[in-house]
Amino acid sequence: MNRLQKAVKDIHTVDAKEAGRKGQSKVHPLSRLAVTVLYILLTVSFPKYDLGGIGAMVVYLLITGIWEEISFREALGRIWPVLLLAGAVGIANPFVDRKVCWESGSLAVTYGMVSMVTLMLKGIFSVMASYLLIMTVGMEGICSSLRVLHVPKEFVTILLLMHRYLIVLLKEAERMMQAYRLRAPGQKGIHVNAWGAFAGQLLLRSVDRAQTVYESMLLRGYTGEIIGKRPVGKRGISIGYAVSWTLVLAGIRILPVFQMVGSLF
Amino acid sequence: MHMADALVAPVVAGTMYACSGAAMGYSMKKVRLENAPEKIPVMGVMGAFVFAAQMINFTIPGTGSSGHLCGGMLLSAVLGPEAGFLSMIGVLLVQCLLFADGGLLALGCNVWNMAFYGCFVGALVIWKHFMKKGMSRKKIMAASVLGCMLTLQMGAFSVTLETLASGITELPFGIFVSVMQPIHLAIGLVEGLITAAVLVFIYEARPELLWGYNAQGPEGARKPKMSYKRTIAVLVIAAAVTGGLVSLAASSHPDGLEWSMEQVAGTAELETEGSAYALAGEILETTAILPDYAWKSSESPTGTTFSGIFGGAVVILLSVTGCYILRFFKGRSVKHE
Amino acid sequence: MDDIKIEDLTFAYSNKIEVLHHISFAVDKGEAVGLIGANGAGKSTLLKLLVGLAEGYQGSIILGGLGVEKKNLAQIRAKAGYVFQDSESQLFLSTVYEDVAFGPRNYGYTEEEVEGRVMEALRKMHIEGLKDRQIYRMSGGQKKLASIATILSLEPEVMLLDEPSIALDPKNRRTLIHILNGIKETKVIASHDLDMVWDICERTILLSDGRVIKDGKTREILMDKELLEANGLELPLSMQRQYI
Repeated sequence: MNRLQKAVKDIHTVDAKEAGRKGQSKVHPLSRLAVTVLYILLTVSFPKYDLGGIGAMVVYLLITGIWEEISFREALGRIWPVLLLAGAVGIANPFVDRKVCWESGSLAVTYGMVSMVTLMLKGIFSVMASYLLIMTVGMEGICSSLRVLHVPKEFVTILLLMHRYLIVLLKEAERMMQAYRLRAPGQKGIHVNAWGAFAGQLLLRSVDRAQTVYESMLLRGYTGEIIGKRPVGKRGISIGYAVSWTLVLAGIRILPVFQMVGSLF
Repeated sequence: MHMADALVAPVVAGTMYACSGAAMGYSMKKVRLENAPEKIPVMGVMGAFVFAAQMINFTIPGTGSSGHLCGGMLLSAVLGPEAGFLSMIGVLLVQCLLFADGGLLALGCNVWNMAFYGCFVGALVIWKHFMKKGMSRKKIMAASVLGCMLTLQMGAFSVTLETLASGITELPFGIFVSVMQPIHLAIGLVEGLITAAVLVFIYEARPELLWGYNAQGPEGARKPKMSYKRTIAVLVIAAAVTGGLVSLAASSHPDGLEWSMEQVAGTAELETEGSAYALAGEILETTAILPDYAWKSSESPTGTTFSGIFGGAVVILLSVTGCYILRFFKGRSVKHE
Repeated sequence: MDDIKIEDLTFAYSNKIEVLHHISFAVDKGEAVGLIGANGAGKSTLLKLLVGLAEGYQGSIILGGLGVEKKNLAQIRAKAGYVFQDSESQLFLSTVYEDVAFGPRNYGYTEEEVEGRVMEALRKMHIEGLKDRQIYRMSGGQKKLASIATILSLEPEVMLLDEPSIALDPKNRRTLIHILNGIKETKVIASHDLDMVWDICERTILLSDGRVIKDGKTREILMDKELLEANGLELPLSMQRQYI
């Protein structure tokens, strides 16, 4: 599967989840956005050797994922790039930070190794949290949250249109690639002679399409804002959701939850 | 070049959010002043275009590998720097949400590293300077290649600074920089050439689409509201302020550079050390039958570690099963409604 | 009363090439008019002028009693619904419901009124079932019906359709004709699909090189083989069979 096809598939996954959702969630998207941002903030703020503490943060991911019926397999499919990145940046840690914290015979675990694993966990968890967010509120939920946060309406309109035409243009690019490959067997990418024309054609078509889109908006009374359906999140439940997760996450951040529970037995 | 959430400390992320937010506010104001509502859909659709176009593999002659085009430069060359910048923010937001490229926390950094330099330095300084006396194929090529290379260098350098200021890597500054910059020099050259090819194609097909193009030649060109010198001055000030803010954030933040130096020197906090044993224990458990393990530090009893692992297992098991049970009842109540 | 009245209309794009020359005709309330002509005859331009999407014409265009000029555009666009040739561009929001609701929401209706209008428009197009469908997951035919619904939700007095049957398979095309015949509003349909014009419009205007060549009963114009061929068109397929 090439990059274009994979991108199309990723969007399909999110949209299928959105279409399959029965009824509107009682929690406002903004609540979920706030909890997600808080979660990521707390996760990355753990000290670099605090592996046990970070481990406890997995609780939020598990609960949200199971409750919202989101496939963990799909979610895990998204962590490879960040794993690679965090690995590359953290790779020096074991070499520089060589103080041993645990050893068994010839096997030794150094603080550098711990900090590298911690870094990778931070990466995985924050990617997973964002994934859960988009899977539960969809792009439209994000846009309506942004409006509540007073992000300019023009920007939200740009986002909505971008999201709508993303898949149209990805598929168009994929069709062009196919047409290209059929006439240029054995080539993996676009030959240098066609660089400009290939993407340029797509660009010109996109500009023309944008023109028609604008006319279509204008003819139906567009005055600068796309008024969307307001999410019907219940105020009490939304606030309750945000407050309770804030407490739980803050608790996990401050207290060594795993050890405390373990010492009960 | 997308930074992930895990690579930025909250203070650095916040600082970069503030900088990018300021640039966004400024751009929004400029775009509103233009009063060209027809531009909004173009910004949206062009953002989608850049996204799709960045997925296309362009074969680099003489090598087996492929390159991609540079979004910021291309968008600005069509939409102008401010509108291009706003579009680019949209692209980066969609990338981080739908495709896990970058992250919500690192968005401020990514907007700065990729969109700000690409749009403002690439277009406002380089593109504008080259096109001052009219457009030509050669000028477009030169501006694109130079713009892409320069803005990518600036972006890569910022990535290095932000990562180091966040204190998450033990890589020394010198090594980090000497790895990042040359790689991005090559990438910038390729991206620049691809971007140039696309822009030249547009120039030949529909030149009026390009920012700053004027059919009547340079005499008829609208006089830019801000002179070239002033633009540069403003950018220099912006860079200085940003640099100052980042270094402030880095120095005031305990996770900053100096602090990580202390760590290396071995003055780590006890509390964090304690938790580290949890990991050791976990490794121990997975590798199961290691006979004579020995804890380096005797202050921390092995019991604590095992209770930590055990506690973790209990917590995870409880939350998972609890959730499944609740979900089961949720499903039933929905059916009954 | 006339819904559309055009008198001595001449129009050129900014490149100075005249696209329409001295066009005059009127369309009565409730009439269905076919606008036929070869590629580049000026059909689309004429439709766009009617809703003020192209500026700077000479002559007069009156729609629903209002002159097509800048100050009247908002009212005119509320009266006239324009269905674009490319449904993908007309439908710019992600789901059918959101897109059909876009117009009514802009005109400030309450959310209940919006819902009523959307459901009524979808019912008229027989696509109630597609309410929450993602637009990119729909077939060309479904998209066309949805894009007509986006216009119907504004309850226009005049409908302007640009090549509505293009890229539709025979079954979808048949459905579209059936649905359009059921809509009582004034319709102007620009199309090469002469069979569809035959089935929907009692009157036809033949354009060629920006001029009105013939304006009359559909049955007369579409059976005039010489006239059609002289203007880059052919007899409707159903007629051709009779000749053989």
